[in-house]
Amino acid sequence: MEALKEKSERGAPEQVIHGLVRKLTHHALWDALLVWLPPVAAVLYCLLYLFLNLWISPAITLVLGCAALAVGALAIARRYRPNIPSVQLAARLIDDRAAAEDRFLTLATLQPSPTAAFLVSRLRAEAVGLQGHIAIKREFPYRIKRHVYASLLISLAAALLFQLLLPLAHSTLHPQPAHELLRELAQRMAQRPNLLETARSLQNLAAKLEDPKVPPQEKRNLAQEERKKIDEQQKKQTQKQDRELLNQAAGTLQGIEQQSGGAERKKDQDSGAGGIQSNLPQHGQGEGKQSEGSGGDSNGELDAQLNNEMQRGKMAQGNPKEPGAEKNPGDQSGGIGDQPDPNKAGKDQSKERAGKTEGGRDERTGRGKVSEEIPQGTPPAERFYKPGEGESQGIKGAGYVTVQLPEELAAEGKGGGQKRDSKGGRALSSQIPVSNVPLPKHVPDAPAEKQQMPLEYRGIFR
Amino acid sequence: MEPEKFQDTFKRIEAEIRKVIVGHDDAIRKVLIAFFAGGHVLLEGVPGLGKTLLVKAFSAAIGMSFKRIQFTPDLMPSDIVGTEVLAENGGRREFQFKKGPVFAHVVLADEINRATPKTQSAVLEAMEEKQVTVFGESHLLESPFIVMATQNPIELEGTYPLPEAQLDRFFFKLLVTSPTQAELREILKRTTGTESGETNRVLPEDGGRHINDMKQLLRQVLIAPPIEDYVVRLVHGTQPAAQNGTVAPASVRNYLRFGSSPRGAQSIILGAKGNALAEGRVHVSYEDVEKVLYPALRHRIILNFQAEAENVSADQIIAEVVKQVPRT
Repeated sequence: MEALKEKSERGAPEQVIHGLVRKLTHHALWDALLVWLPPVAAVLYCLLYLFLNLWISPAITLVLGCAALAVGALAIARRYRPNIPSVQLAARLIDDRAAAEDRFLTLATLQPSPTAAFLVSRLRAEAVGLQGHIAIKREFPYRIKRHVYASLLISLAAALLFQLLLPLAHSTLHPQPAHELLRELAQRMAQRPNLLETARSLQNLAAKLEDPKVPPQEKRNLAQEERKKIDEQQKKQTQKQDRELLNQAAGTLQGIEQQSGGAERKKDQDSGAGGIQSNLPQHGQGEGKQSEGSGGDSNGELDAQLNNEMQRGKMAQGNPKEPGAEKNPGDQSGGIGDQPDPNKAGKDQSKERAGKTEGGRDERTGRGKVSEEIPQGTPPAERFYKPGEGESQGIKGAGYVTVQLPEELAAEGKGGGQKRDSKGGRALSSQIPVSNVPLPKHVPDAPAEKQQMPLEYRGIFR
Repeated sequence: MEPEKFQDTFKRIEAEIRKVIVGHDDAIRKVLIAFFAGGHVLLEGVPGLGKTLLVKAFSAAIGMSFKRIQFTPDLMPSDIVGTEVLAENGGRREFQFKKGPVFAHVVLADEINRATPKTQSAVLEAMEEKQVTVFGESHLLESPFIVMATQNPIELEGTYPLPEAQLDRFFFKLLVTSPTQAELREILKRTTGTESGETNRVLPEDGGRHINDMKQLLRQVLIAPPIEDYVVRLVHGTQPAAQNGTVAPASVRNYLRFGSSPRGAQSIILGAKGNALAEGRVHVSYEDVEKVLYPALRHRIILNFQAEAENVSADQIIAEVVKQVPRT
């Protein structure tokens, strides 16, 4: 049967050549398709993935899909067209396989000439005799090229990476709010009969968490309570899926607690940082302990100076997270020294603004006493935010902290410290300083609050 | 004429020549190809290698008239082409054209480079035009006509190297090399014993017509356009200057003064056709082209001083061209 089929294939040599051309053309087409279809499929898959996850709209999906198909079609055509075999190439391939000494090439490319017709017919007869030596189907099978495998592997890898990395990148760039996570979990729990109650409870909690009026402390407490409930329920649950859901909910709630705690700490820190600056009026009232060694220098002045020093330290460093002691000691030690330093001038100016203009004071004594205390509470690095980093009550849009002193205090600062000793307390208590950082609520007769010096700024004042 | 008849005649002539010539199979075949292609052959080799004997055996095999001209410095053009002589014809004295030795089917121009350029150039017209002009009168040469010149690559003192224009008129330049040990033994056996080979005539009485038929058939041999393109690219590849945007190989640029003329391409294709017929085919293959490439081009590419100083041969450069030019 096979032999019969092969015999029927053997027509004129020209037919064999054209048959091979067709076959090789199909090979080229397959080659182009197999090389470019995997990347196109991968792109379409990525688009579908984006669409199904509602990251892109159907219209965009359609447009991008059509564009991908068009580019793919172009690429296939671009690869296919140069690989279309010529008659000459096919004839040469047959000549090589059949050891025909260019008979097929001559027959395929020869211009018809009546003078040599007998030679052509003789050549054709010779070629027909040689056709028996080759079977086109067997001799020229389609073989998948190496670059097809490469294309397939690369496309698969790209699609997999896309699927794995895109959600990660998305969650990193656009973190889902906690209340939405809780809602999602609640929805999933609502489908489980055993967890209906928990689902409702989580929905309520999500609503409260979403409410900006609820203070963070309360949010944390609510989350803590809910988590405890879930933990207890989790111990009772026997079904694996329920346990997993509860476990997820517990994890989410724990995250919310930490976030709320962190936010609260930030808030405390913000208010603490503001406290340094807001100490001015309070310290002004009760200058005593810290200014003992400074020979009558006011604590308010000292703290204002420290505050300015800290701010300047931040500015000089560029990065406020870096320890100021590394850079600033030089500046400070040289503050009264020989080397001209642009920071020095600023420092002096800020000192003047803080009302500390009288000379001959031994600042080191006062500073030493302050810096010996170990700061408590929030880590120092978290006390200062970059502009816009803090929460709603944090410093926003501030390159540095500005404090507008009450007029009387400012006047005293400019005029000298003598006058302030007698009147300063009352004068300050009657006016509130203004700053771009949130200041604690001014309580007229509240006791003075001492603010500890952060560790990283100790070196500055030494 | 049938291709089989051509091949049969060709093989028989070859066999007859081999009766007296030991070795030089390639040279014999190329001489026959050049003859049936209508070209002339320049044989180069040191004395005593059988160049003259080869030509004599060839002329004997084809049964055509043969003349030998020993070229010397004092040879005059009239000694070759002939001259007008005063002769009495019926009591009347008149000038009659006395044909020179060039009026033969096979002319052996032995040591052609020993004659003066003036005499050499007398052969030019005969070779190219197949006619000679004496005192303003043209005389057609015999057909078929072949000039087989020999030259000695040594003993160049007192010689006049053939100018490029004259070299270009030779279809092939064949190098006659020294025989191998076995061949030399066979030569000694044949020439120093009592037995001596004798060439018999292969062609019939009307050999001229037969040869013309063979020549006709040779020109009808089929050649595929891609093979013609290959020949064109090969010949272009010998041009030191860039041609049609293609840059010549480094060896061509460095060692050649001039590349092959179009006559080179003509010789390659006709030679390839002759080779195909000799091998019993009616179409030219790439192998046919490469077989006749060297004898067709080696005297047509002009080496420069650097090539001569570095002892680079024309064959080496042709080999480089073949390497550089792809078949497709």
